[in-house]
Amino acid sequence: MRALDRKLLRDLWNVRSQVLAIALVVASGIALLVMSLGVFGSLSTTREAYYARYAFADVFAGARRVPNRVQEQIEAIPGVEKVQTRVVVGVTLDVEGVAEPVNGRLISIPERGRPVLNDVVLRRGRWLDPDRAEEALVSERFAEAHGLQLGDRVAAVINGRRQPLEVVGIALSPEFIYNIGPGEFFPDPLHFGLLWMSRRHLATAFEMEGGFNDIALALTSASASTERAVITELDRILDAYGGLGAIPRSEQLSHWYLQNELTQLENMAFIVPMIFLGVAAFLLNVVLRRTIAVQREQIAALKALGYSNARLGLHYVQWAVAVVTLGSLIGIVAGLLLANGMLGFYMEYFRFPFLTYEVSVPSILIAIVVSLAAAALGAMGAVRSVASLPPAEAMRPAAPESFRVSLFERLGAGKWLTQPARMVLRNLSRRPLRAALSIVGISFAGAIMVVGSAMMDSMDELLEVQFNIIQRQDLSVSFFEPVKRSAVHELAALSGVMQVEPTSGVAARLRNGHLQKQTAIQALAPDARLRRVVDVDYRAIQLDRPGLVLSTLLAEQLQVEAGDTLVVEVMEAARPVREVVLTDTVDDLLGVAAYMEEESLRRLVRRDDTISGAMLKIDSQAEERLFGLLKAMPAVAGVTLRSAALKNIQTYMLDNMSMVMGVNLLFAVIIAFGVIYNTARISLSETSRELASLRVIGFTRAEISSILLGELALLTLASIPLGLLLGYGMIAGAMSAFESELFRLPVVVETNTFLVSAATVLGSMAISAWTVRRKLHDLDLVAVLKTRE
Amino acid sequence: MNVAVTTRAPTSPAHPAPVFAMRGVTKVYSMGEVEVHALRGVDLDLHEGEFTVLLGPSGSGKSTLLNILGGLDAATAGRVTYRGGDLSEAGERALTRYRRRHVGFVFQFYNLIPSLTAHENVALVTEIAHDPLTPEEALALVGLKHRLDHFPSQMSGGEQQRVAIARAIAKRPDVLLCDEPTGALDISTGIAVLEAIGKVNVDLGTTTAVITHNAAISAMADRVISLADGQIANDVRNGAKLPASAIEW
Repeated sequence: MRALDRKLLRDLWNVRSQVLAIALVVASGIALLVMSLGVFGSLSTTREAYYARYAFADVFAGARRVPNRVQEQIEAIPGVEKVQTRVVVGVTLDVEGVAEPVNGRLISIPERGRPVLNDVVLRRGRWLDPDRAEEALVSERFAEAHGLQLGDRVAAVINGRRQPLEVVGIALSPEFIYNIGPGEFFPDPLHFGLLWMSRRHLATAFEMEGGFNDIALALTSASASTERAVITELDRILDAYGGLGAIPRSEQLSHWYLQNELTQLENMAFIVPMIFLGVAAFLLNVVLRRTIAVQREQIAALKALGYSNARLGLHYVQWAVAVVTLGSLIGIVAGLLLANGMLGFYMEYFRFPFLTYEVSVPSILIAIVVSLAAAALGAMGAVRSVASLPPAEAMRPAAPESFRVSLFERLGAGKWLTQPARMVLRNLSRRPLRAALSIVGISFAGAIMVVGSAMMDSMDELLEVQFNIIQRQDLSVSFFEPVKRSAVHELAALSGVMQVEPTSGVAARLRNGHLQKQTAIQALAPDARLRRVVDVDYRAIQLDRPGLVLSTLLAEQLQVEAGDTLVVEVMEAARPVREVVLTDTVDDLLGVAAYMEEESLRRLVRRDDTISGAMLKIDSQAEERLFGLLKAMPAVAGVTLRSAALKNIQTYMLDNMSMVMGVNLLFAVIIAFGVIYNTARISLSETSRELASLRVIGFTRAEISSILLGELALLTLASIPLGLLLGYGMIAGAMSAFESELFRLPVVVETNTFLVSAATVLGSMAISAWTVRRKLHDLDLVAVLKTRE
Repeated sequence: MNVAVTTRAPTSPAHPAPVFAMRGVTKVYSMGEVEVHALRGVDLDLHEGEFTVLLGPSGSGKSTLLNILGGLDAATAGRVTYRGGDLSEAGERALTRYRRRHVGFVFQFYNLIPSLTAHENVALVTEIAHDPLTPEEALALVGLKHRLDHFPSQMSGGEQQRVAIARAIAKRPDVLLCDEPTGALDISTGIAVLEAIGKVNVDLGTTTAVITHNAAISAMADRVISLADGQIANDVRNGAKLPASAIEW
C-alpha cells in the first residue's frame, strides 16, 4: 500500500465518528431510495406477472341483462381475442357476530373449467361443486377479517331473502387486488367481501338464466386504437341491453387504484430520497472543505515534497469516495431490509399470490454516482483553495483574520458582553460565509424533520375534511336499482333515522374532443346538508345553477375550464348525448368526481324522479336495530357506515403511512444529528489551539466551553426558523408531486411538527455539545500548543 | 512553460556555472492588511556541492529566499535560475516536477504527516522519486534505523527532525534546503541533526543551504551569507570548516 493511502486510512480512522455520522446521512438517502425503488419495482413486476398468469382482462363492461347469444356477436368484434361473460351482483351479507351491515359482491364462475379471463387463485379449500347451489369461494382478506374457516356459513340477502352459503374455498383474483366496496376510498375487508358462485345457481337466484350482465375482454393488441375501436363497438352492441359503458383496463377500479398507489410510490421513490441525498451531498461538501482546511499544512508539506495538485486532489477525493461508499453500503443493506418489511406489508394488504422481487439497480447506481460526484466536487473545491497557495505560504500559519468589532457591539451592546461572548460574536462575524453555511446545513436538518412528519399532518387534515366537513351522514344506503323518490319517506319513517337526504347519480362518459372519462355524475340538492361539495378552502360549493361541476384534476385531464362545453353521454335510461356547460371546478382532495344539481341532472337524463341511494343521520342508540331493518329491505344493495370507513382509513394510515413516515423520520433524525455533530466537531478542531491558549492564560474549562458551545448554540438557534421555512417549502413541493386521482394532500404543518423539528435540532445540539465538551476537557494543553496544527 | 529546469546546462570546468543564480529578486507579502517587503533586490549565486549557511535575525528574509530557491514560493520581481532554467517563469506543473526531482526540504517544524510512521513518511518521497534510497537506507543515514515504525507523536523533536532529513535526502536530491533545522531543538539533538546534514553534503555531494539565526552553525559551512532587512549584508568564505560535532553554542 502506498504511503498516501495509509495516510487516508489512518486519517479516516482518526475522525471515525465524524466519518460515520456523514456516512449515515448518505446511507439515509440511499436506504430510502433503495427501499422505495425495491417496493415499487417489486410491486410493479409482481402485478404484471399476476395479471399475465391469471389472465386479467383488457376491457370491462357492465349491462342490465344481455342474452347469452350476444356473446358470439361480441367475440366477432375485430381485435377481440377472448370473451368472458359473467353474472355479477352486489348484495348485503349477514355474517355471524357482525351487527353492522356488510356489503358483498357475488361473481359467477363457469361450471366447467376455469374462467378464461379474470381467473381465480384458489388459496385453500376446493373448487365449487356445480351441483351444489349453496357453495361459495370467499375472498381471502374478507375471510381473515371475519375469521371464516372452510365449512363456515355466510348468508347473502338475495331479493330480501337470506340465502345461506357454505365457504368451500378461499380465493384471490387479479381483478380485485385493490378491493374496495361501493362508495369507499380504501379497502375495508370487514365491510366488503367477494364471493364466487357457480354461474347457473347465481343466475337462477337473480333471474339471469340464459343471460349475463358483466363482460370482460382480452384484446389481440395493446394499441390504443384497437382498444378504442373495440370499446365503441361493444358499447354499440350493449346499447340495447342497458350497457353501462365499457372501460379500458386503465379505468378498471382495482387497477386504477393500484396504479395510483404505484405512481405515488414511484414519486416518493425519487422525491424524498433526492431531498435527503441533496442534503447529504451538501453536508459532505461543507465537512470536507473544513476538514481539508484543517490539513492545510500537511497539504503544503506534501506539495513541497513534490506531490502534484492532481495527486493531492485525488487523495481527498478518495476521502470523500470512502465515506460515500461506506454510506452507500450501509444504505443499500438497510434499504433492502426495509424494502422487505414494506413488501411484507403490501403483500398482506394487496394480497398477491406470489412475489417477484425486483430492485432497479441502475437507479441505485445513479444515486450513488450522484452522491460520489457531489462529494468529489466538494473535496476538489476545497483542495483547490489550498493547492492554489504556494506551499511556502500554506505552511505559514494563515494570516490573522481581519477581525472587526461585531455589529452587535457597534450598536452599543458591547459593554454588557463578557470576553467569551465577545469572542463568539467576533468569530461568527469574521467568517460570515462559513457561519451562513453552517446555519444552512443545520436548517436542512430541521427542514427534513418537518418533511418527515408533516405528511402525517396532511393525512390527518385530509380525513378531517373528508369525514367532518364533506361527509356528515352516519350511513349511506345504495339500492339495486333506482327507486321512487318516495323511498326517502320510508327511510325517514324507520325508527332511529333522524335525517334523510336522497342521492342519485348516473353512469356517464364525459368527452372533450378525443379526451374522455368514464365516471358517475352525482346529483346534489342545492340545500344538501349531509353530503356537500367542498373546495380546497373548505367552502361548500353552491350547486344552484344548471351545468356540471368537476374536480379540478378531472377538468385538467379533460382539458376544460369553467365556461367550456363538454359532451355528456348518459349510460342509462334513454342514453341521451348532450352538451353541458362546465360551470365550476372544485379543488377537492379525495378522488375525482362530477356533480350536477339534481333537477338539471334529472332533465338531462330524462328519467322519472328516482333516487339511487340515501344519506342518513341516525340516533346511535338505535343503530343495531336499524342495521337489521336495512339489511332486510329487498331494494337495499349496500349500506356504508361512515364511522367504519373512517376507522378503516385510519387503520390503513396507521399501517401504511406511519410506517413510511416512521422510516422518513428516523432518517431525518440521523441527518439532523449528523449535520450538527459534524459542525461541532469541526469547530473544535479548528479552534482547539486558540482554546488551549486561553486555558494556558487562565481561562477555566467552563469558560472555553462556553466560547465553542456558545457559537454552536447561536448557529443552531439561527437555523431553526430557516429550517422550518425550508421544510414548509419542501413539503409543499413534495405534496404537489404526490398529487394523484386518489387524493391530493393539503399542505398542512401542525405546530407540533414544528416543535418536534426544533426540539430534535436542539436535542442533537445538546448531545453534540456534550461530546465536544468532553473532548474539550481532555484537551492536552502542552501537546496542542507544541504542534503547529 | 519550458522545462529547462529539469535539464542541466553545459558547465565549463574553468568557470563552473552556478547551481542557483538570483538577480534582483524582491518579494512582497500582504499579511492581512499589512504589506511586508521580505526581499529587496537580492543578487546571489550558489555553487555545486557548496554548504552555505544563511544567517540573519527573524524577518531578515532568509526563509523567503530559501522558499523561492526551492520552488515553494514565487518572487514578486527579479529572476531565479536553477542550472540555467528559469524558476521565476515556471508554472505549477514544472515547479512540482522540479521539487520532486531535485529538491530536498527540511523545515523548522518538521512537517511530518502525523498519521504516518517514520518509515512511511520517508516512503511518501521514495514512492514518487527516480532512483531513490530505500526508506531504511535513508533512515540509517540519520541514525534512526531502529525507529522505523514509530509515529511522529512517539518521537522526540530531534528524532522527528532527523526523519524529516531522511525524507529530504531519500530522493538523492541535487540540493538540500533546510529552514532552521535545529531551531526547535536542544544543543545535543541539534548537533546530531547537523551531523546528519553535513554527512549528506559530504557523502552525496549535495548542494546544501541551511538557514539559521544561530551564528555558531556557520563554523561547519563553506560559505556564510548574512541577510538583514531583505538584503545581503555580508557574504564570506569559511576557510576553517569544522565538523558539526565540534560546534558549541
